[in-house]
Amino acid sequence: MKLGTLGGTGRAGMMGRIGLFLLGAMILFALLGPLLIPHDPMERTGAPLAAPGDGHLLGTNDIGQDILAELAAGARVSLTIGLAGAAASMTIGVLVGVLAGYRGGWTDTLLMRAVDVSLTLPFLPLMILLGVFLGPSMSTQILVIAILMWAKVARELRSQILSIRTRGPVQSARAMGAGDGYILRKHILPMTLPLLIPQFIQAVTASILMESSLSFLGLGDPLAKSWGSILFYANARSAFLTDAWIWWVVPPGLCIVWTVLGCSFIGYWLEEKASPRLKSYAAPAERGARGWFRSRPSRTAASAAKAGETLRIDGLTVEYPKPDAQESVAALRGIELVVKPGEIVGIVGESGSGKTTLAAAIMQMLKHPAESAGSIRFAGEELTELSDRELRAIRGHRMALVPQAAMNALNPVWTVRKQLTEAITCHRKLSRAEMEKRIGTLLEQVGIESRCLQAYPHELSGGMKQRVVIAMALVNEPAFVIADEPTTGLDVLVQAEIVALLQRLQQQLGISMIFISHDLPVVKRIADRIVILERGAVVDEGDPEQLSRHSTHPYTRKLMDAIPSIGRLEQPLERPRPAQPTPSPEPLHAAAGR
Amino acid sequence: MSHSTNRAESPPTEPLLAVKGLRKQYEASAFSSAGKEVLRGVDFQVQPTETVGIVGLSGAGKSTIGRLVAGLERPDGGEILYSGQSIGRLRGARRRQAASGIEMIFQDPYESLSPRMRIADLVAEPLRIRKKYRGNRAGLEQAVRTALANVSLPPERYMARYPHELSGGERQRVGLARAFVDPPRLVIADEPTSMLDSSLRLELLALMDRLRRDSGTATMLITHDLALAYRFCDRLLVLSDGEIVESGTPAQVIEQPAHPFTLRLVQALREFHP
Repeated sequence: MKLGTLGGTGRAGMMGRIGLFLLGAMILFALLGPLLIPHDPMERTGAPLAAPGDGHLLGTNDIGQDILAELAAGARVSLTIGLAGAAASMTIGVLVGVLAGYRGGWTDTLLMRAVDVSLTLPFLPLMILLGVFLGPSMSTQILVIAILMWAKVARELRSQILSIRTRGPVQSARAMGAGDGYILRKHILPMTLPLLIPQFIQAVTASILMESSLSFLGLGDPLAKSWGSILFYANARSAFLTDAWIWWVVPPGLCIVWTVLGCSFIGYWLEEKASPRLKSYAAPAERGARGWFRSRPSRTAASAAKAGETLRIDGLTVEYPKPDAQESVAALRGIELVVKPGEIVGIVGESGSGKTTLAAAIMQMLKHPAESAGSIRFAGEELTELSDRELRAIRGHRMALVPQAAMNALNPVWTVRKQLTEAITCHRKLSRAEMEKRIGTLLEQVGIESRCLQAYPHELSGGMKQRVVIAMALVNEPAFVIADEPTTGLDVLVQAEIVALLQRLQQQLGISMIFISHDLPVVKRIADRIVILERGAVVDEGDPEQLSRHSTHPYTRKLMDAIPSIGRLEQPLERPRPAQPTPSPEPLHAAAGR
Repeated sequence: MSHSTNRAESPPTEPLLAVKGLRKQYEASAFSSAGKEVLRGVDFQVQPTETVGIVGLSGAGKSTIGRLVAGLERPDGGEILYSGQSIGRLRGARRRQAASGIEMIFQDPYESLSPRMRIADLVAEPLRIRKKYRGNRAGLEQAVRTALANVSLPPERYMARYPHELSGGERQRVGLARAFVDPPRLVIADEPTSMLDSSLRLELLALMDRLRRDSGTATMLITHDLALAYRFCDRLLVLSDGEIVESGTPAQVIEQPAHPFTLRLVQALREFHP
């Protein structure tokens, strides 16, 4: 339960605080330093190259100017140029990005080619060239920074806007008749703002560094002190020949590091906040797929599986600890489930009922940070006690999963043949001829023509892809298959085909099956027994007919009653038909089919 | 094309929406030289206060019809007459004026509501866009309250909340409130229930049905779910490969399908709804 707390939010939050402290201290130094330090950085106020000590906390440079005063003045210049450069490049970048992304068409093409050109310009030579050409001054520096940095901002913003433009809120506003101004103001800008803020901080970081480089190259304003120009003079006037570099070179260097580090930390923290999805990847914890599985030996011993049971689940509980709080969310609570050989058990539940978690728990593929307890026995073997190696020998071999959203389970750059070959060679070596034969059998079983072997997934229809995924599950003749939402997202015609296919396979191969779906009518059609899941617990169980006719459980009833009936119009529709144009349709009993 | 001649198809009044020879083609991509023709000459009418269901498989062009009528895309051929006025190619303020009273309900309740806006602002958005109740905050708020109350979301509990605090069913109710806050004449509902759990589907459609009856609105219900369309529509149009292959009352379509495609569809349906 403590696993989740280490990573993610906490670490980023801490970095944010450190960053704010670093940057805040530097800003304070820039604001107050020149007021509090009694020396004028432009005047000779001490002996040349005086070591740090009385009167001059950080010593003096070769003409006797106070270094601390120089640093404070430099902080003002560096921060100003950093902010101004970042603001200028962001302004150009946002304008170009919004125009290109929102207008599209020719505007987009032209602007993006300009961006491409700008991104390929060699950065350092251009910087020097512009600096020399325009003459050293603060506005030159800001201009150079803006010219070098706008393109990256523009490109990232454009791709964001391209995707935002097609999203629901924008589409619905457009359907309400909203104009471009409204959509930009109310939808596009607010949605891009969380991305712009971290980008701005990044730009500040980059422009402070660029300012230092420009000044160090002697392209800064000769009348203004900046950290870069302090370094420039130190280098030019041979600070490194004496010990003076310790107080002349190191402090401005540290100032740059300090500020850049502060900005980077803030940027990291803001980025984390803007895209919280990073969080779930932040705590990978090097444990294996099932290191947190606590099995209860007492329990497993008690429930020795009876012979003739394919699968027996006892007291299975899966919890997801919340990252911050002590309590955890229970995805499954005390599941008891038996699958007999050759049986199709349908598991029905609405979203959030724990259906997919159940499939993952059986396959021992729960995702971090799930914690589970209880017993899962497959053909007499306690899965929760097996090693990863032993599990791999079972998974995809004796027990197979047809994963949810099968359309995405196929590798888009592999042909069907390659997908199937891969699935077979995971578990055994076959000669070429044997492989061909096996693939031929599989294709026949799932009803795919052999010419489809050369096809890539995008060339296949949804139903065909689903058949390929089923074939992949069957490659090693498993005794038990879990099909997770195998008909979801398919058209009703294809659903009927897939259900018929699974039924036929079950009869031909004698496999046992768990059929998980939210779609009760489909499950009723295929399952020998239905288990109803509600919020992680089994609330009802029985054969389809018995459940639909006799179950008194309120949730089961609710699900059953939600199936819209056709051809049973003697059940009155609660809705009075409008007087206009339709006459009330005649009742008719099951005209076609069953 | 259809066998809808056996009943009074068009009452003497003018149809609210008349679609004639509607065509839409998506641009040729790098992979296919010829553009894909999604709609190949679609004709239909929607009478005031009528509910028309458009059913078909995915890729048949159902959603495209909705998007064309809602003005999210422009037709490549044919006409869309709304109250007798051609609106298919209008843009900007002229379109807003000519197409006033057309509302759309989107499929995905998680995606169509801006996560940054409160429920009150989301419901008020159509009114703000059309500059109604300008400078009349009390009136605007009252309209929002009424709209929320009409979809059984108590305004005082919901107005200040954000979409992520709501369940899918509640969000889709907000979608309904948005569509009905500015009394519409034609509501286009594109798969309004397909993302919802089945126990909520009938409930939401019943609610939509009540709202449209109370306000005398015509509805286009675009769905792949023939069973739902059967239950809630006055007339069904079956779309296959960009053409309307059958139209008639739900009872006619289900019980005496004339086109082979409809027959297959109905047979598949009966597999799961014995």
